[in-house]
Amino acid sequence: MMTWYLLIPILLPLVGACFVPFMRVARERAQLLGALFAVELVCTALAAWKCSGTLVLFTVGGFEFALLADGMGKFFAVITAAMFAAAGIFGFEYLSEDEHPRRYHIFYLLTLFALEGLAFSANLFTFYLFYELMTFLSMPLVLHEGTDKARRAAFKYLGYSLLGACLALFGFVFADRFCTTLDFVAGGNVNTLAVTGHTGLALAAAFCMLLGFAGKAGLLPLHAWLPIAHPEAPAPASAVLSGVITKGGVLGIIRVAYYVFGASFLRGTWVQTTLLVLALCTVFMGSMLAYKEQLLKRRLAYSTVSQVSYVLFGLFLFCEAGLTGALLQVVFHALAKVCLFLCAGALIHYTHRTRVPDFKGIGRQMPWVMWCFALAGLSLVGIPPLGGFVSKWYLAEGGLTQLGVLGGSLGAGVLLISALLTAGYLLGIVRDAFFPGAEFQQEELAAKPGWAMKLPLAVLAAALVVLGVWPTGLVSLIGGFAAAIL
Amino acid sequence: MSNMFAILCFFLVLFPFAAGIVCWAVGRGGCVAADRLAQLSSTLVFVGCLALSQCVGGSLSLPGVLGLGLSFQLDGLRLVLCCLAGFLWMMTTLFTPEYLAGKAKNNRYYLFLLFTLGSTLGVFLSADLYTTLVFFEIMSLSSWVLVAQSETPAAIKAADSYLAFAILGGLSTLMGLFLLYQQLGTLTISELAAAAAAVSDKRLLYVAGAFTAGGFAAKSCVFLVHTWLPGAYTEAPTPATALLSGIITKAGIFGLFALSGQLFLHDAGWGLAVLLFAVATMAVGALLALFSTELKRTLAYSSMSQIGFILVGAGMQGLLGEENGLAVWGSVLHVMNHSLIKLCLFLVAGVVVMNLHKLDLNDIRGFGRGKPVLMIAFLLGALGIGGVPGFSGYISKTLLHESIVEYIGVLETAGQSAGLFHAIEWIFLISGGLTVAYMTKLFVTLFVMKHPTRQAEFDALNGHYMSKLATVVVAVSALPMLVLGVLPHYTMDKVAALCQDFFGSEGPEHTIAYFSLTNLKGAAISIVIGALVYLVVVRCVVYAKGEYHNRLPRWLDLEEMLYRPLVLGVLPFVGALVARVAGSVMEWCIALCNGVLMWRATPTINPRSDDTFCAYEPHSRRMPSFSSSLSFGLMLFGFGLVSILVYLLFF
Repeated sequence: MMTWYLLIPILLPLVGACFVPFMRVARERAQLLGALFAVELVCTALAAWKCSGTLVLFTVGGFEFALLADGMGKFFAVITAAMFAAAGIFGFEYLSEDEHPRRYHIFYLLTLFALEGLAFSANLFTFYLFYELMTFLSMPLVLHEGTDKARRAAFKYLGYSLLGACLALFGFVFADRFCTTLDFVAGGNVNTLAVTGHTGLALAAAFCMLLGFAGKAGLLPLHAWLPIAHPEAPAPASAVLSGVITKGGVLGIIRVAYYVFGASFLRGTWVQTTLLVLALCTVFMGSMLAYKEQLLKRRLAYSTVSQVSYVLFGLFLFCEAGLTGALLQVVFHALAKVCLFLCAGALIHYTHRTRVPDFKGIGRQMPWVMWCFALAGLSLVGIPPLGGFVSKWYLAEGGLTQLGVLGGSLGAGVLLISALLTAGYLLGIVRDAFFPGAEFQQEELAAKPGWAMKLPLAVLAAALVVLGVWPTGLVSLIGGFAAAIL
Repeated sequence: MSNMFAILCFFLVLFPFAAGIVCWAVGRGGCVAADRLAQLSSTLVFVGCLALSQCVGGSLSLPGVLGLGLSFQLDGLRLVLCCLAGFLWMMTTLFTPEYLAGKAKNNRYYLFLLFTLGSTLGVFLSADLYTTLVFFEIMSLSSWVLVAQSETPAAIKAADSYLAFAILGGLSTLMGLFLLYQQLGTLTISELAAAAAAVSDKRLLYVAGAFTAGGFAAKSCVFLVHTWLPGAYTEAPTPATALLSGIITKAGIFGLFALSGQLFLHDAGWGLAVLLFAVATMAVGALLALFSTELKRTLAYSSMSQIGFILVGAGMQGLLGEENGLAVWGSVLHVMNHSLIKLCLFLVAGVVVMNLHKLDLNDIRGFGRGKPVLMIAFLLGALGIGGVPGFSGYISKTLLHESIVEYIGVLETAGQSAGLFHAIEWIFLISGGLTVAYMTKLFVTLFVMKHPTRQAEFDALNGHYMSKLATVVVAVSALPMLVLGVLPHYTMDKVAALCQDFFGSEGPEHTIAYFSLTNLKGAAISIVIGALVYLVVVRCVVYAKGEYHNRLPRWLDLEEMLYRPLVLGVLPFVGALVARVAGSVMEWCIALCNGVLMWRATPTINPRSDDTFCAYEPHSRRMPSFSSSLSFGLMLFGFGLVSILVYLLFF
């Protein structure tokens, strides 16, 4: 298939967004946009299946604006499209009482556009452009509610994202000098001649870029926007913020670490050590704060801080098992976290409550929602046979092979302590929802979730079970990437 | 043959899951068909377990499933454990509908009951520790719902601590498996011994083994991680308690056997560690059971104590090395005996609870008077567990005792001091004595004493206090104690010989004369101690002024005094403090920068105190001081950088 085909999954949401202002009837909009999400998913899958090669669109001052269909990009593109479809379909019912549903849908589609572009970027320049676009186009989602709190949250999101982008840009300038090309080359393309004598500077540049992109993924010093921004956005938007947009940062790290500087350049340096320590601290910190948090969506946001740092831990190991675990964790965290946020959305939408203790006994009213919540929660903890178990197994194994017994045990220990805390902050909710006590009197809810809300939840939870039991295809796919770039 | 094993394996592991879902769906409206379906499916599973005997030696591996792949195999020990599980499940499920009649959410109970069955069989059939862990976790979580079934505050609390130990234990085992896999490169149980022999530095292997053992020990209520036991056993519906005690603890024991009998084969250091924990478990459990004043709680602590007896065998296996036939036989047979005995005892307890809804010994005094089936069943169970000659428990306890004596002999022949093991032998005999004492306490309470006020009410129930089916179930569950105890050479020896391969053991060198004078002497000592303890401690201390009194001081409760405050209070506080400080560093920096760079005070608007003026303003559109924040500064900085970039690019 022609490489031009790559433009379809990128531009389709953009075109869709242009038509949203004219879709005034809610029902009609739901049908059209639902179809759009489905078509987008199919197009992305087709692109992932058939496309390969690079498409150079135009050149600006020596920088090429180019798209690339490689395994890693396709992997992220498909995940993005699938998660956006699930959260998008959920969104119709969730926003049925909203004042500005069209505004929301426009920016939702635009964010999808930026993310698809990000996934298919061929070089650092294109990637950076789409990265900034993603930040600016997703900010209105946080801003959507229009309250003072939402505004403050949006600016915090913006501030941290820009700080991260500044760091990335700083590194970008040096990368331009130290690398033979800014194109993404599997295994990295550091120019040994240019680097000789400037290793320290090159490493510092790499560190800045990695830290900058890690800001989007919620790594320690730059994580503070997540727990502020996520609770303010509408639930489906927080779902994609948490499940997919943080993965934009992850993709940035993968591209920089494995395709620009290369794993062999960074392995064993202070950059790796520092980032690993930061990742482990974040894993613990996120879980601990989630355990102490009472606002449901903020608890989930802290949980994202912790869980995405599992991914970063795996990536910074620079070994095959670590990378496999990290990419599996990308998939399973996306599925579980989108599912959890959507469940939280359903709970909040129908009970008009937001705090964890308010959801006591809700399992009797919304059994479907709470079952999905329980499954996604168990996967996040890492209980077999759900997906999270598999990814954590690979991560710990990678840690032990790469860091030796002492460091590896420390790493695995932190991951397990965090898993314990995860069980503490998620299973408690499930327990209270299903076992409120025999005498507990529940007020009947006026309305219950319809199929458009339940279907995405059920599909995500089922995917966690199915992919958890048969991860073979996924593991061999990811193993292929790992072999190519290490 | 391997085909048949594959089919049976799929059937035994997956069918209960499917049947559970069907039962749940059928029973949604409180339909009784769910009861029949659950009974039918657990009977079918038992038949399937029996059919397993036709394919001993079979194995099945499913590569790729769940990452590392699952594998199953069948040998003697696994066959015996599966048959026990199937039998116990069938018996308790047959009894369940009557016990749960009139209660809410029975379909949920069946759902998780059958889930637990499937996963327990998965544990017993597993050929590698990865598979064991996978099914072990599923089993822990689904049995959690069984504990919480009644949804009373006490049940929820018990379920909480059950879940906490399950999750903690599961993670500990997972950590252990990470380390083991790292060092050995395999988790297949039958390959562990060879792989471990090749490791030169054993220290790390011990650490890995200890972590792995953690989860299994928590499930089988070894001392220090036993505190979930009294709550969970008391609050779960009694048929579920029978399973918790009879089989689910044995899943933990299976894991510990895999470590003792394979990974640390003939390893004296490991054996000694296991032995010390075992002795503590045995003695503490027996003491707590003696002082307990509740029916199910006494039986629960009794389970703990008996697990200690089993683990004494596991420890002695390591110490005795190659010549460990007695210890292997003893521990395996005590696993079987304990399962069958606890089934019988908990079924009797279930009948009591079903009629009275009370557990306190003071309230159930005299309930069993004039109820011969109940009395004979309980008596057989009590005699079995007390190690009275002629009943099943005597055989396994004798074997375990002999293994200690044998090791003392080995040490003395080698000229080493055997003082520690003399002490252990005595603790073993005294614990046996305590078993006799607390079982006497229960028997006398239920069948001899009279209730001060309600005795007539109890007597009126005679003849129709349980259905025909329940009568048959109770009677059948009591039979094995007698059969096994009287004909040990035809029954128990065969079973033990079947199981010994798992431990790489050849069995005892010669046939054991169970009823020889030396062996009878051990039992006699225990019984005499038991009688004395009953007369002195129970009749004078626990039972005073016509009532049972709880004489245990509160501070002995490890969970309330240590674990809960530590895990729910101290550790989260310290952790959260550290996490908050670490997480706020950046925010503090930003606040500092804001204060230094944006020193200009934000203009504040003081609205006039004119109410009408304000009332017309629909809502304030004031931006929350964005232009004076660091974000704004950063944004300007970003624009600056972009313009520089554009300049560099184009000019």
